[in-house]
Amino acid sequence: MWKKFVFLLLFVYTINIVNAQYNNLWIPDTLSGKNFNLVIKDTFAQFKTGNQTITGAVNNNKFWGSTLIFQKGDTVHMNVKNTLNDSTTIHWHGAHLPAVMDGGPHQIIPPGTTWQPYWKVTNNAATYWYHPHLHDMTMAHITKGIGGFIIVRDTIESKLALPRTYGVDDIPLAVTSRSFTSANVFTITDGKTISEYGDTLLTNGVTRAQISLPKQYVRFRILNAEIERGYNLGFSDGRTFYVIANDGGLLDTPVAVTRVKLLVGERVEILVNLGNDVVGGTVDLKSFNSGLAFGFPGAEPNKSGLNGSYLNNADFSILHIVVKAATSNAITALPTKLTTNTYWTAANATVQRNLTVTAGSGVGISEFYFDNTAFNYNTINKTVNLNAIEQWTITNSQVFSHAFHIHDVQFKIVSRTSGVQNYESGWKDVVYLPKGETVSFVAKFEDFADSVHPYMYHCHFSNHEDGGMMGQFVVKSTSSLPLNLLSFTAQLDQSETYLKWITSKEINTSQFEIERSTNNIVWTSLGSVNALDKEVNNYSFVDLNPKFGINYYRIKFIDTDGKYNYSNIQTVENGSDAFQFIIYPNPAQNKIYLQFKDPAYEVYYIKLTNEIGRVIYMLPKPQLGDGLDVSKLAKGVYYLQVTDNKTMKTFTKKFIKE
Amino acid sequence: MNKKVFSIGFIVLFMLTTAYINIGHKVIKDFSLQNVDGTVFSLKDHPEAKGFMVVFTCNHCPFAKLYPARLNELNTKYKPQGIPLIAINSMDTLVYEEESFVQMKEKAKVDKFNFPYLYDAMQVVGENFDAEHTPQAFIIWKENNGWIIKYSGAIDDNGEHPELATSYLANAVEDLLHNRSVVNPVTESFGCRIMYRK
Repeated sequence: MWKKFVFLLLFVYTINIVNAQYNNLWIPDTLSGKNFNLVIKDTFAQFKTGNQTITGAVNNNKFWGSTLIFQKGDTVHMNVKNTLNDSTTIHWHGAHLPAVMDGGPHQIIPPGTTWQPYWKVTNNAATYWYHPHLHDMTMAHITKGIGGFIIVRDTIESKLALPRTYGVDDIPLAVTSRSFTSANVFTITDGKTISEYGDTLLTNGVTRAQISLPKQYVRFRILNAEIERGYNLGFSDGRTFYVIANDGGLLDTPVAVTRVKLLVGERVEILVNLGNDVVGGTVDLKSFNSGLAFGFPGAEPNKSGLNGSYLNNADFSILHIVVKAATSNAITALPTKLTTNTYWTAANATVQRNLTVTAGSGVGISEFYFDNTAFNYNTINKTVNLNAIEQWTITNSQVFSHAFHIHDVQFKIVSRTSGVQNYESGWKDVVYLPKGETVSFVAKFEDFADSVHPYMYHCHFSNHEDGGMMGQFVVKSTSSLPLNLLSFTAQLDQSETYLKWITSKEINTSQFEIERSTNNIVWTSLGSVNALDKEVNNYSFVDLNPKFGINYYRIKFIDTDGKYNYSNIQTVENGSDAFQFIIYPNPAQNKIYLQFKDPAYEVYYIKLTNEIGRVIYMLPKPQLGDGLDVSKLAKGVYYLQVTDNKTMKTFTKKFIKE
Repeated sequence: MNKKVFSIGFIVLFMLTTAYINIGHKVIKDFSLQNVDGTVFSLKDHPEAKGFMVVFTCNHCPFAKLYPARLNELNTKYKPQGIPLIAINSMDTLVYEEESFVQMKEKAKVDKFNFPYLYDAMQVVGENFDAEHTPQAFIIWKENNGWIIKYSGAIDDNGEHPELATSYLANAVEDLLHNRSVVNPVTESFGCRIMYRK
């Protein structure tokens, strides 16, 4: 039904282009549940008279994509099929999830491949989005129009009397702009002559957008989906409106404003009261960019050429609103209280990190870097300890402003040179970094440690990001060494494990217990050794029967008062074919199952390729209990590559699809 | 506004200037490619041809999918006048399954292609033409026993509405048939990008 509606809207809007002053706003279709199918594709759309514009979109849309509705607490499974003839990635912007599911520059989806990440939604109710994030190609793929909203719902937000009827009194707005060549092709900045700012404003992909909205409180979920332009949002009659949510959740209370600056990647949820308007009356949601100081993206005076745009330093309409009769379930009052957030403060931070915006190489779009270092796929710029609360301080003494975005976390802005605005006081994942300012935020890096796949931090202007203004960090788990443990080693010899550890200055240590695990989760005691209590103590223990496969060892230090703590963990691999697995049935028709010699074996990644090496499926941390569905594969020979979760070694087996 | 017009004009002028350097000089080497009918196609096997309309296209590209009927019409009209149309698929079939030779055969059948549809498996012909998109049209013209590019760009200026379109390709063929220099030898090409394996 939605799809038909969408097509109808597109059709109407195409006709309207010829003679109407305004075109009806397109509202993206929604997908909900726990399994989501997204097809990323090349397509085309009619934006102007004359030829169609080559675009990219998700599912059956012409520009932009379906809105995904998540319930907090659900585990969502994504089937992302890339049918572009170019590799891409899909990043879940704002989501707290394992790095390998994040869809950053490393989780490349080759053409024709289905990528199947999944994660438990732990984010608060708010507006998030998804978009391509392939380094060097982010701007090109975002320019095409690939992306979509994610709306997270939760029990706190659901209980509030807020407008929540999608497309009726709860309106998503992805705001961006494009320029066109004489053949109606989107332009992309080269950093030399072609501007990064569009001349034509697109609201949900619609030029000169209008909507009829009911005479009551209406909610907008506004995303700055631009390449670089910032917006200075307000209403044409200067009316007060209310910010109720930032990037990562509701504010404690609505914040009354008349203007909100919204930089690329930022979302803001606002309530505006149309209850005092007359039916048939109009008001415009606008961006008031005229008179803004140079440095705000889009405040440049140039109307053409590099950095130029028809919309620069101008006030322009984002959405023309025509007021219609109220709905039967109208929200007529502003909630006084939304939620109770417990924010991190600067005092909570145990680690201070400083980043400085520096000049880039100046070649093409490489205008800015962080700390004089261009993004490099193979360089991990920062290592964060799991569960650390960190304060990141970014100093921008350069000539232009930026929008700083960090993956994995939602943060709290604790300071900025010009003062933190009330409307940016909630959970954020993008922060406006004006020229000449220093901004500081605090975040906790919880839940997902992965020493291989990094998360990104970058300027969300995709030309800056593609130009190298990006870095990457890993979150590492730390099992801290007890202070008096000088060393701990484990070595396999003739199918026996020799454990050796050295301690010094033991205080009240009574004994050591040796523990083993095959999965790093369930531990069993192998025996104990009494403490020697000398200046330097050498201990050893032999495991005569290590398990087949990976063996994890740790030492439990038990004090005389019964308190204890653990050493770091050492591993040995028993048997050269420890990770061998079999695929059955083989040949297979519908499903294949993987049986590992070690039942506790954990898979980090599975990649399925066909005989000529084309990647068909990429499955991060797959859940293998129900087997893998191969029913849709063409008949032939396939290779299944398994990456070990612990060692990151890969093992490949062949199977036949009948 | 004037500045904008001026700047677009400048860009177009720049593009045309750059293009003029290539157009009329770039020589295309003969090639042998497999046709979907099982034969092998080479330019040298068509001594009767004054020139060829060469259209790079593919199976999956939504924009290319708008053009089969128009390609048939162009071939019907100009093949008897010595300028047949050939279509070439230079997409990377290793990464893109839908571009396989088997599926090319299927497409030629379904869309009733009345012209050769050639499989550029190694992408060498596409690279020789500097073909960037599907669909992208060229006209090569026989001069001094060699093949010179006389036109490069879009087939026409409206994919979805052929009734509103100006056919750049047909206009260029007409110019050549009437011994005129091509009025618009280069237009902007667009569509799905052809990714070269290198």
